[in-house]
Amino acid sequence: MTGWLVILAIGLGSYVFRASMFVLLGDRELPAWTTTPMTLVAPAAIGAMVVSMTLTHDGRTQLPALPELAAMVAGFVVVRRTGNVMHAITVGLPVFWLVSAIV
Amino acid sequence: MTALLHTGPAGETRARSAFTEGARDITPMVLGVVPFGMAIGATAGTLQIDTGPALAGAPLILAGAAQLTTLQMLDAGVAPVVIVLSALMINARLLLYSASIAPWFRHETLRRRLVLAAPVIDQLHFTCVPRFERGDLDREGRLAYYSGAAIWLVGAWLTSQTSAMLVGASVPDAVGLRVAAPLALVGLLAKSMTDHRGVVAAIVAGVVAVVGTGIPFHSAVLVAALVGIAAGTLAARHTARSDATITPTGGNAEVAS
Repeated sequence: MTGWLVILAIGLGSYVFRASMFVLLGDRELPAWTTTPMTLVAPAAIGAMVVSMTLTHDGRTQLPALPELAAMVAGFVVVRRTGNVMHAITVGLPVFWLVSAIV
Repeated sequence: MTALLHTGPAGETRARSAFTEGARDITPMVLGVVPFGMAIGATAGTLQIDTGPALAGAPLILAGAAQLTTLQMLDAGVAPVVIVLSALMINARLLLYSASIAPWFRHETLRRRLVLAAPVIDQLHFTCVPRFERGDLDREGRLAYYSGAAIWLVGAWLTSQTSAMLVGASVPDAVGLRVAAPLALVGLLAKSMTDHRGVVAAIVAGVVAVVGTGIPFHSAVLVAALVGIAAGTLAARHTARSDATITPTGGNAEVAS
């Protein structure tokens, strides 16, 4: 029962975030000064998420294991080079397997 | 969501091709989220949580990082209020994506905008906003493109999670599915840093996320994102180069001058 309530509350809250600007903005435009910050939402939000997912554990800072780290670095570099996000997985996972096998 | 495609006979072919184009453009991101979804599904299968709410989390929360955190905290017996606050902090970035996507649909009816808001997520923001900024899609074209991308992304996400959850923990850990989640995000990160402002925003946000690890309710992620955005914006002010970006109004706006 608790599980259901928690999931429902988070789902509802998340939808409110998603719908907020679709409703509040109406047919008005966003002011011009917001243009630059808007383009930075994605790199900032995802940078923070990646770091908190891999470098922190239970509220403490902790370095990831070598295979994980190698996979992420390889994935990052290949996506920068090719511009195709799919390669984070297609290159990153094999690197993870390889380094896991060696270490 | 195909009901969104109310187009006249003339615009029908164009809308259909925009729908296909949206689905095609988001495909690399779909291939990234499938292992992420499978990882969450397999994780949920191993936790001591009822299958009902665990399954319902996929369509209701519709965001991987928040869902994974929620399931792990439920399993660890964390207080419900703390779980809800933590997950909502992680998902607060959706508010920012809402602000970047909504202006492109401001001429739609409220009911339609409420439907369009439902799938708002990182991958959709990445695929659609740059495409809309090219400025050659009209109102119906944008609706079709967005719908094509959203339906394919959400469909693949729900399928991958549900199937992995039902198959359960039989997926061996050596496959490295748990690495798939951060890897999918790393790919998005590399893609999102389109210029030096993006690089500044991402690095500053990352540093703040580490420094702020101890802030309660996972709010470090939100605080870090906001500080990163501010830093990137300031970096833009210091750039001599000026570039023009097409805004939702269809006109050109000078930024970073």
